[in-house]
Amino acid sequence: MVIWSHVGLAGLWGGLLALERRAFLQAMISRPLVAATGMGLLLDDLQSGLSIGMVLELFHLGAANLGAALPENDTFAATGATAAAAGFAGGVGLGTPATWSLAIICFIGLGQAGRFLDRALERYSSRLASRALSSAERGDLTRAVRQNLWGMWPVFVVFALLTAACAFFGFLLSPAVASLPLRLARGLAWAYPAMASVAAAIAVRGSHAKNAALYAAIAAAAVVAGVAVHQLLGSHA
Amino acid sequence: MSSTAVRAASFHEQPLSGELSAATLLRVFWRSLLLQASWNPQGMQNLGLAYALFPALKSLYRDQNELMAAVRRHLSFFNTHPYAAAAILGGVLHHEKKIARGEEPPDRVLAFKTALMGPLAALGDGFFWLSLKPAVGAFCAALVPFLNAWAAVLFLVLYNAVHLTFRWRMFRIGLASGDRLVETVGKANLPRRGARLRTVGAASSGALAAWLAIVFGRNEPASWAPLLAGGCLAVGAASYWLVGKRAGKYAVLYLAAALAVAAGAFL
Repeated sequence: MVIWSHVGLAGLWGGLLALERRAFLQAMISRPLVAATGMGLLLDDLQSGLSIGMVLELFHLGAANLGAALPENDTFAATGATAAAAGFAGGVGLGTPATWSLAIICFIGLGQAGRFLDRALERYSSRLASRALSSAERGDLTRAVRQNLWGMWPVFVVFALLTAACAFFGFLLSPAVASLPLRLARGLAWAYPAMASVAAAIAVRGSHAKNAALYAAIAAAAVVAGVAVHQLLGSHA
Repeated sequence: MSSTAVRAASFHEQPLSGELSAATLLRVFWRSLLLQASWNPQGMQNLGLAYALFPALKSLYRDQNELMAAVRRHLSFFNTHPYAAAAILGGVLHHEKKIARGEEPPDRVLAFKTALMGPLAALGDGFFWLSLKPAVGAFCAALVPFLNAWAAVLFLVLYNAVHLTFRWRMFRIGLASGDRLVETVGKANLPRRGARLRTVGAASSGALAAWLAIVFGRNEPASWAPLLAGGCLAVGAASYWLVGKRAGKYAVLYLAAALAVAAGAFL
C-alpha cells in the first residue's frame, strides 16, 4: 500500500536539498549522510537513512564541484535510494541490511542521472543570463538581477518529482521485496558490509591525503586490535 | 511629527554618499548565499553576483545611468569558489564605494575581480571541497555506529562552524581592506591545514571499514563470522587496489555486491 504522505514528503525533501546543493547556502545539508538521514527521519525509517547515507557519503567522498566540472549528483542518489528503501519496508521503518543493499544496488546510479539533469538545467540558466543582459540593456535593472532567482524553480520541481517517484516505486516493489527467497535475502544482507568496505576504500582514495592507505590501514588495525582486546578482557571477566 | 521633521529624520538615517548602511551590507551578504542560483556555462556566477550586489549599488548610485553601468560591469563573467566569493564581494563593495566617490576609475573593480577569482577559487576548492568536506564527512560517517542520527548533526555543526565563520569574516575583510585581503587570506595558511585534514578523512574511512566488517561478522553464526569479517576487509583492500588501477568505482561496487550475494546465498 502506498503511503502518499511519505511520497509527498520525499518529494519535498528531495526538491529542497537539490536547491541547497548548489543554488542556495551550500551548508552541506545535501551531503548523502545528512540528506539520507533526514529522509529516513521523515519517512519513519531512520536506520535505513543512516545506513544508506553512511555508505553513499563514503562512496562520493572525493567528488567535488571544481570550476565548470560537474560531479555526480550524490544528493539525488542518497535521497532517491533512501526513499525507495523506506518504501521497500512498507513505510513502517523495518528496513534491514538486505533492503539497504537492494536500494543501493538499484538507485546508486541516480548520481549519474542527476548529473545529466544538472547539465540540462544549466541550459535554462543560460537563457536566463541572456534575458538578464537584455533587460539590463533596456535599463530594467530589477528584472535583470531577479533572473537569478528564476533559475531555482525547475531544479526544485524536477528533483522533487523524481525523488517522489523513487518513494512511489519503493512502495510498489515492497510486496516483491517482502517475498524474496531467504537465500537471496541473506546474500543481500552480506552485500551491505561488502559495499561499505568498497565505499570506504573509494573514500580512502578520495581523501586526497598523502600516504592515505597507510593512515587507513593503521586506523583499521587499531579498531581490530581494540575489539580483540575488548573481547579478551570480556572473556576473562 | 511634522512632515519636515520626518524628512529630516530619514535624511539623517541615510548613509553619507559613497557609504553603505549595516542593513544594506547584511542584505548583500544574505543575497550572496544565492550566488549560484542561476549558474550558467557562459557567465557562470555572473547573475548571482549582480543579484547580491544590487542593493548596495542602488544605494551608492542615485543616478540611473551610473547604476546601469555598475550593474552591467557585474554581469560580466564571474566564477570562483562560492565561499571565497564572500571576500571578493566585500572587496567589490570596497572599490565601488571609491568609484561612487570618484576616487578611482571603474576599471579598478573589474581588475580586482579578475585578479582574485582564480586564486581564491583554487584556495577554496583545495581547502573546503578537497579537505574539510571529506575529512568531516568521513569522520562523522565513522561515528554513525555510535552516535546514530547525531552523527549527521555533528557533521553540520563541525562543517558550518568553519564554513559560515569563513564566509562572514572574508566578507568583512574584503570590505575593510579591498586588495589587501590577499595578505590576510595568505596568513590563514589554508593549504597546510587542508593537508592535515585529509589524513583525518583517510584514517576515519579505514576505521569505519574495519568496524563494519567486525559488527556484521558478529551478526552471523560463529562459523561464518571470520569469513564475513575477513572477506569484507579483503574486499576493501582489493577495491583500493582496483580503483588505483583505474577500475570504475561502480564496477568495483557491483562486483563486490555480486560476490557477497553469491557467498551469502550459497555458502
